[in-house]
Amino acid sequence: MSAGTLIRPRLPRLPRPAWLSGGTAVFLRRLAAIPVVLFALASVVFVAIRLLPGSPATSLAAGGNTASAEEFGANEERITKALGLDQPLLTQYGHFLDDLVHLRLGTSFYGSNSVLGLLGDALPATVELTLAAMTVAVLIGVVTGVVAALRKGSWIDTSTRAVATVSFSLPWFALGVLAIVVFGVWLRWLPVLGRLPSSLDYRPTTGFVLLDAILQDRPELLWPWVQHLILPAITLALSMAGFITRIVRASVLEVLGDDFVRTARMKGLGEGAVVRRHVLRNAWLPIVTVLGLQFGSLLGGSVVTETVFSYPGVGRLLVQGVLQRDYPVVQGAALAIALLFTLVNHAVDLLCTVLDPRLRKG
Amino acid sequence: MSETRAAAEAAPVPAAAPAAPLPKPPSGAPGRRLVDALRHRTVARSWPASLAWLLLAAVVLVALLGPLLVQADPLRQTSAALLTPGSAGHPLGTDDLGRDELARLVHGARPLLLVSFAATALAAGVGTLVGLVAGYAGGMVEQMLMRLVDLALAFPSILLVILLVAAAGPGTVSLILGIGISLAPGLARLARTLTAREAAKDYVVACRLGGTSAPHILLREVLPNIGGPLLAQVVMTLSVAAGFAAGLSYLGLGIQPPQPDWGYMVQAGQEFLFTAPRLVVLPATLTLLFVVACNFVGDDLRDALDPRGTA
Repeated sequence: MSAGTLIRPRLPRLPRPAWLSGGTAVFLRRLAAIPVVLFALASVVFVAIRLLPGSPATSLAAGGNTASAEEFGANEERITKALGLDQPLLTQYGHFLDDLVHLRLGTSFYGSNSVLGLLGDALPATVELTLAAMTVAVLIGVVTGVVAALRKGSWIDTSTRAVATVSFSLPWFALGVLAIVVFGVWLRWLPVLGRLPSSLDYRPTTGFVLLDAILQDRPELLWPWVQHLILPAITLALSMAGFITRIVRASVLEVLGDDFVRTARMKGLGEGAVVRRHVLRNAWLPIVTVLGLQFGSLLGGSVVTETVFSYPGVGRLLVQGVLQRDYPVVQGAALAIALLFTLVNHAVDLLCTVLDPRLRKG
Repeated sequence: MSETRAAAEAAPVPAAAPAAPLPKPPSGAPGRRLVDALRHRTVARSWPASLAWLLLAAVVLVALLGPLLVQADPLRQTSAALLTPGSAGHPLGTDDLGRDELARLVHGARPLLLVSFAATALAAGVGTLVGLVAGYAGGMVEQMLMRLVDLALAFPSILLVILLVAAAGPGTVSLILGIGISLAPGLARLARTLTAREAAKDYVVACRLGGTSAPHILLREVLPNIGGPLLAQVVMTLSVAAGFAAGLSYLGLGIQPPQPDWGYMVQAGQEFLFTAPRLVVLPATLTLLFVVACNFVGDDLRDALDPRGTA
C-alpha cells in the first residue's frame, strides 16, 4: 500500500446552482429542515414512552391498587390490547406516525377529554405566559445590559453583573413560591393561582385572552388577566433577564469599540442617539440568537412555573399527565412543547438572516 | 481531521529513531487540577465567591452531620401538635401531620445533594466517554454519536428529564438517570471538540505510531490534557443539575413521601400558604441559597480551572 492510495486529495466543492444559493434559498432550506427535526423529535417521544421500563399498561392496571394479582394480570392484558402494545414495535411506530400526521392524539385515560382539545385550551395559555415573560426579560435585560456596558468598571456595572449571575441561576419553583408568599399572602397585592378568576365567565374563542377580549368586546377581562400574569411572567423572566443582561453587555461593549461609533460621536450625535441608532442596531444579532436559544429554557421553566401558579398551560398538563401516568396526554404535551421549541428556534434563525445580510450566504 | 490521521499513518516511520524522548505533554489529571486550585487558593478570592463556598459547605455539612445532631424523627407524626409554630420541643414548629419541621429540613437536604452530585457525575462520565470516542474515532462513529447528541440537544433539557423520569417512574434513581443523561450531550459535544483538537497533535500521533492502544491514549494522554476545560464545564453543569433536581422533586418526580425532601416539602406546604407560610418559605429559601451557591462556586471554579476560557 503506497502513501498515494491513503491520501486522497479533497475534491473541490461544486458551486451550488443559482437557484439554491442566495437569501430565498437559505430560507427555503431552513424551512425544509423543520419537518425533519419534528419527525426526529416525534420518534424520540415514541421511544421514550414505549421502550423504557414501566409499561403504561402495568401502571394503568396497578392504578386502582386494590386489585388482586389475577385482576391485575387481566387488567394488564386488556389494557395492553386496547393500547395496541401487543403489536410489533414497527407496526406501533407506523400507527403512531399515521395518527400524528392526522392529528389523532388520542384521549386522556382519565375522563374522556381528547388530547387535542386539552392542548387547544392549554397552548394559548402557555404562549401568553412565555411571550409575556420574554417581553419582561428583554426589557430588563437590554436596559441593564446597556447601562452596565456604558458604565463599564463602575459600581453599577459590578453590581449589575453580580445580580445577573444570581438571577440567572434562580430555581423557578422556589422563586415562584416565595413571590406568592410575599405578594399574594403577606402584601395581598396580586392573585396567586390560575389564569382568570373563576367568577368571570370566560368562553374562549381563540384561547388568547387579549384577542378574545377584543373580539368579544369584553374589556373587563383584561385587568384580571394582567394581574394573574404578572407573578408567573416575572418569575419566569428573571432567570432569562440575567442571561440577556450578560449578552447585551458583552455585545454592546464589542460594538462600542468600533470605528463607526467614534465617527457617530465625532459628528456630534448625542450619546442616546449613538446607542439607539448605531450601537443597538449592530448589537442586536447575538441578542436575538440568544433569545431563540433561551426560549427552550423558558419553555422548560414554564413547566415548573405553571405548576407553581396552577396556571392552566401545556407544562402543567405535562406534569399532571406524568404524575397520573396518562400517556396520551404526556405524549401530546411533549410533542406540543417540542413543536413550539423547534418552530421558535427556526423562526429566530430566519429572523437573524433577515437582520444580518451577511448570514444569507448559504 | 481524517486527512491528518491518514497522513500520520502514511508517514514513513523512521526505523531507528534517535533516542530523543517524546515531547512530554503537560501533566495534570482533572483531579490533580482541582486539588491544586484549592491548595493554591486560586478560588474564592472575591467575597461573593467566598460566601458561596461557605454556604455550599454549610449545606453539605448539614446534610452529612445534621441528622446525627437533630434528635427528632422526621417521620414521626404527633396528632397533638399539628401546624404549631416554634416551641421548645419543635424549634421550627411542626407541619400539617405534626412532624418536626427542623428534623425534616435537616434530613431533606440529602436527596437534593445526592441527586445533584450523582447526576453531575453521571453526565460527566457519559459525556466524556462519548466525546472522547467520537472525537478520536472520527468517521461514521463520530457522525452517529454526534447526531444523537444533536437530537438530545434539540429538546429543552427539562422536557427530556421529565420524559425519562415519566418512563422510569418517579424516584431518586430515575431522577439521577434522567438528569444525568439529559445533561451529558452538552459535555459530550465539548469533549469531542477538545479531543479532536488534541488527537491531531504530534504527541498523540507519536503514541499511535508507537503502538499504544487507543484506550490507553485516550485515558492517559488525551484526557489529562483536556481535563481543565472539561472539568470547568462539569462544575457549571452542577448548578444546572441542582436546579433541575430541586425543580423536579418539587413536581413530585423525585424521592417519594413520606421521606423529607426540600422540593417536595415546598409543594406540600403550598396547601397551607395562608396558615403556615413558613412551611413553604424555609425549604424554598434553602433551595434557593443552595442552587445560587452552586452557581457561584461553579463560576469561580471555572475561572480557576480554565483561565483562558477554552471551554
